Amino acid sequence: MDKTININLGGTLFQIDEEAFRILRDYLQAINNRFANVQGGHETIEDIELRIAEIFQTQKGLAGVVTRENVEAMIAIIGKPEDFDHGEPEITAPVYTSDKRRLYRNPDDIVVSGVCGGIGAYLDTDPVLFRILFVISAMFGIGVFAYIILWIALPVARTDSQKREMFGDEYHKVRSQAAKTGDFQGTETPIYNTNYNSSTKLGNAINEIFRAIGRVFYIIFRIFLIMIGVVFVLTGFLFILCFIMIFVFNYPGVFSVDSSGVSLIYFFDFLNYIVSPKAVPWIVILSSIALILPMLALIYWGVKMIFWFKARDGVVNLAGLVLWVMTVAALTIIGFNEGINFAQTAKTSTETVMPHSPDTIYVRSDKKIADLKFEKELALPHKEYSVFINDEKKELYIRPILSVDRSDSRITSVEVKKESAGSTEMEATKKTEDLQFNYRLNGDTLHLDEYFTIPAGRRWAADNVIVNLHIPAGTIMKFVNDPRIMLRSSYRDESDKYLHSWWESGNGVWVMTRDGFEPVDEYPVKHK
Amino acid sequence: MDLENNKAQMRKGILEYCILSVLSRNSCYASDIIKELKEAEVIVVEGTLYPLLTRQKNAGLLSYRWEESQQGPPRKYYELTDEGRKYLIDLDKSWQELVESVNLIRTR
Repeated sequence: MDKTININLGGTLFQIDEEAFRILRDYLQAINNRFANVQGGHETIEDIELRIAEIFQTQKGLAGVVTRENVEAMIAIIGKPEDFDHGEPEITAPVYTSDKRRLYRNPDDIVVSGVCGGIGAYLDTDPVLFRILFVISAMFGIGVFAYIILWIALPVARTDSQKREMFGDEYHKVRSQAAKTGDFQGTETPIYNTNYNSSTKLGNAINEIFRAIGRVFYIIFRIFLIMIGVVFVLTGFLFILCFIMIFVFNYPGVFSVDSSGVSLIYFFDFLNYIVSPKAVPWIVILSSIALILPMLALIYWGVKMIFWFKARDGVVNLAGLVLWVMTVAALTIIGFNEGINFAQTAKTSTETVMPHSPDTIYVRSDKKIADLKFEKELALPHKEYSVFINDEKKELYIRPILSVDRSDSRITSVEVKKESAGSTEMEATKKTEDLQFNYRLNGDTLHLDEYFTIPAGRRWAADNVIVNLHIPAGTIMKFVNDPRIMLRSSYRDESDKYLHSWWESGNGVWVMTRDGFEPVDEYPVKHK
Repeated sequence: MDLENNKAQMRKGILEYCILSVLSRNSCYASDIIKELKEAEVIVVEGTLYPLLTRQKNAGLLSYRWEESQQGPPRKYYELTDEGRKYLIDLDKSWQELVESVNLIRTR
């Protein structure tokens, strides 16, 4: 006796024999494929299921077993899904010529992503051939890349017309054949693939093996994707955390940018001393958006990768991108406006000649950085240029550069150059007058401040003070105070060529020779 | 030219109009609508009707209520909404115009 199966159809229980069940299941699967992606499709599927139940009940009553004949009669009444649109089974759709054929991923014949199924459909060949080819080429590494590229590049054939394009002329042959035999099959073995599947049992077996391998690869791929997603999310969160800690709470912590300990963390505070006050909040807001928005996007993509969901986020992504581009554009415009104030630099210099040239010149600091009151120290990258900020007095303090070179005559002189930037050279020249820097010559001693002051109300304009000491050969120079403060970390001559580091002279004694400025180990000096 | 194809296209165009017309006379089950449409040879298979009913219902032209059936599972009892009625009047007009246009050309 044939096996019977109990099924629940539209809320009614039926007994159905195995053969009929198979046909019915394939038919329902075909209906499902046809309507699942259509708006209101699920309701239509329910309606049809109810109608099937009604037909069975009128044919058999509640007691009888539904047979193949019942199912076929039912299909004749309701029709096959491909006949629904046309209302007439004999109608043929417009013929698609082979040049209209396109390569798609076949959603009805999936092992990993339907690439091979699609190629098989396109070339009217058993997809198992391409699966074997991909696995073999994957051993050499090429296959994996080729597969991933195809996966990304090929669209899925979702609609009927896309499937038509995928199969070309073959489509109708396959379909009408399937329709004649009443052989509807579900996702596993789709109707479009009927004739290929019947080709070999071996092919089917190999396909099954590939499906199993494909699932394993899919899992590995998902794990890989989840790992990338986690990295993305963590990176995004850490960056935003750092951003908040550094710029909102001014906490450098372990995220200190600079090895010297001081860093750019006060950059936003320093802005008040650089740009016009009106621009400051804009720059803060805009640059925050410009920095944080990509991190939010990173977190979102990461979450998307981890949970593998598809979202209709095209509009949101585009809006985010547009917002970001606009932010950067606005920042550029503000930057350009403010940058004009730095377009030109000008130097003013005053030279004082020593009445006599002493054998030894002493350099002594009057106002020391050690005694300076300041709240923040901002180290700008390059040139060891530190800005000390006193928020109470609204003053900025910066170290001058001390530069020593050989004078050709026997004359010893001190040249102090002040350097500022401005929108025009005239303005820049005028700005140099604001810089407060004290120095004086007293006998054979040069008194210098360890810093120059930018007074309150005057914005920073890439200011610099350069103390240029011209001394004849043979003159000894002795730093009374710690020379590292004056010489920064290395001594440079006028041409800005690296010569020596302050630490080369342990006792702060240097001598001008015919070859250049050199450290002396002991004082008095042994002349060469 | 493919005559069958042409006929099918014409039927397809008037199918929604026919459904609304059947329902304008009296509210009924899907199977009643199918019976009438089949007799008039507007449709061949029943499956054609269900997606259309869903679409018209979602468009607010139809509404339905469930009714118990003696012969089987509960059935949907369809009727026109006010909007559906208005829409049908528009379709009636369009149909009249279409018939007149075709006649005008044919009898010239």
